[in-house]
Amino acid sequence: MDELIKILKSYHPEVDYEKESGLIDKKIFDSFDIVSIVGELMDEFDIEINAEHMVPENFNSAKAIWDLIVRLQDE
Amino acid sequence: MSFISLKFAAFVIILLIVYYLVPKKWQWLLLLLASYYFYLCTGIKNMGYILVTTLTTYGAAVFIENNARVQKEYIKANKESLSREEKKVYKASMKKKEKWMLFLCTVINIGILAYFKYANFSIAYLNLFKLHVMGSTDFIGFFDLILPLGISFYTFQSIGYLVDIYYGKYEAERNIFKYALYVSYFPQIIQGPISRFNELASELYRGASFDIMRIRSGFYRVMWGLFKKLVIADRLSPFVQTSMEMREEYSGFYLILTLFFYSMQIYGDFSGGIDVALGVSEMLGIRVAENFERPFFSKNIAEYWRRWHITLGTWFRDYIFYPLSINKGIINLGKRCKGLNEGFGKRVPIYLPMIIVWITTGMWHGAESKYVVWGLLNCLFIIIGTEIKPGCEKLNEKLGLKEASLLLKLIRVVKTFWLMAFLRVFDIAEDTKAGFETLGLVFKGWKNFDINVIFNELKLPKEEFIVAIIALIVLFSAELLQRKEGLRSRIFKLPIPCRWLILGGLIFIVVVYGSYGMGYDAKQFIYLQF
Repeated sequence: MDELIKILKSYHPEVDYEKESGLIDKKIFDSFDIVSIVGELMDEFDIEINAEHMVPENFNSAKAIWDLIVRLQDE
Repeated sequence: MSFISLKFAAFVIILLIVYYLVPKKWQWLLLLLASYYFYLCTGIKNMGYILVTTLTTYGAAVFIENNARVQKEYIKANKESLSREEKKVYKASMKKKEKWMLFLCTVINIGILAYFKYANFSIAYLNLFKLHVMGSTDFIGFFDLILPLGISFYTFQSIGYLVDIYYGKYEAERNIFKYALYVSYFPQIIQGPISRFNELASELYRGASFDIMRIRSGFYRVMWGLFKKLVIADRLSPFVQTSMEMREEYSGFYLILTLFFYSMQIYGDFSGGIDVALGVSEMLGIRVAENFERPFFSKNIAEYWRRWHITLGTWFRDYIFYPLSINKGIINLGKRCKGLNEGFGKRVPIYLPMIIVWITTGMWHGAESKYVVWGLLNCLFIIIGTEIKPGCEKLNEKLGLKEASLLLKLIRVVKTFWLMAFLRVFDIAEDTKAGFETLGLVFKGWKNFDINVIFNELKLPKEEFIVAIIALIVLFSAELLQRKEGLRSRIFKLPIPCRWLILGGLIFIVVVYGSYGMGYDAKQFIYLQF
């Protein structure tokens, strides 16, 4: 989780990722951020994120992103 | 059947009466009949294409879902006996079938759309190639093609549904008639919004009880849409057209005014049509996705495109931009480019798909190179905006301008408005060359401005000009008021006499100041051609 927070902080350091649950819904992350973050996640966690995973529910909070990472690592 | 016709008004009134008389569980069927009748009015030939799209996407979605179900059940039944590798191979072989079905169905439907939109465009270029490269004047004849109404909208909507089923985002619709309603729902078929199945389907199928408040609210929206279309867009249309025709003679400030008025015309036309569609939907108790969010208050072009034709933008984002930007090939290309330059490599998976999206967006708007240029210029400005953002923020800090300051916001809003206004020149110019020439003409002939030319030569008589300006002030004020709270919810809080006064005033303005006249025929909505 710490590695994830570190990546997210590099895009929006002002966000409290422990509490924030509307990263997409509140338009904190735009599509540029998402694509860049996804690229870093694939490298860092050795996972394959596909277009089917690109839904707001998977990126609205740090926890949701972490759950996606864990799920994809298990597959 | 145009939205701006007595026939359409009668159609909606009769539909509303019958809709609220039939039991809720049959309302969707009535909507299907009404939608097919509405579409049939556009010509019987068009029916064939919408039926092909409906049947192919319905069938392909069911196939994909069945296939995925079989795969899951097989894996579940053989959980213990299959190794991880065997499961992977089996999944891949099943996914391949789904991929093929998705590909085939997309090719058929995009093929139909491309045939209508781009066949003559391709022939024109082939003929140019023959003339200039082969020196032949044996030209290929053009097809006599009329674009079936709403084909871009319902094709995109259906393909979006199919892709979502492929990704397993939700379950496929098994009732073909219910699915046919999703594809053909009449208020949105001619110019959008492009709805998502998971958002629209439940609205269409659940049924609604009669609610006078909702009817009233929907009616307000319809009238507001008519105001934008008839009082603003159709009033400005003759001026914009004439001014473009006479631009060599009347350049400079006349062209600035033309670009300003064209921005207002296209906004009034498109968002007005969407207001009518959403207002009618609201009266039927059906919520449809919004397509505009006060776009002229955007602070940069990227934001503008998140607030203008929202459903097309999100469609391109979800079905083209995201799949491309996280595609292994593009990511690997980015990695290779990182070897040359770290920053450049990082940008490849974002900017390359963006360029493709903008070329596609341009092509979607029209089968002409000027639209591709328009798309690429939009893309270029977004890239420039993204790249200079950190520098601008530092500069603003040095100048003592706070990010939240009203002045800075105002500067950005004005800058975005005018950039978009200038780019729209490619919409109204005959071709790319004419578009650039017109932009050049904007900077010429400023000394010769005479307001009487607008009244007498450019088909916007003084009285019409005054009405247009007042209408634009009303529009601007209404949009400004919507910043914190919807306009209608503000109106509904007012005392009853005030509400009646506003509604009566709106009807009066639309009837009296709508751009009618002798032999009046409401202008077709601009977006019908897309």
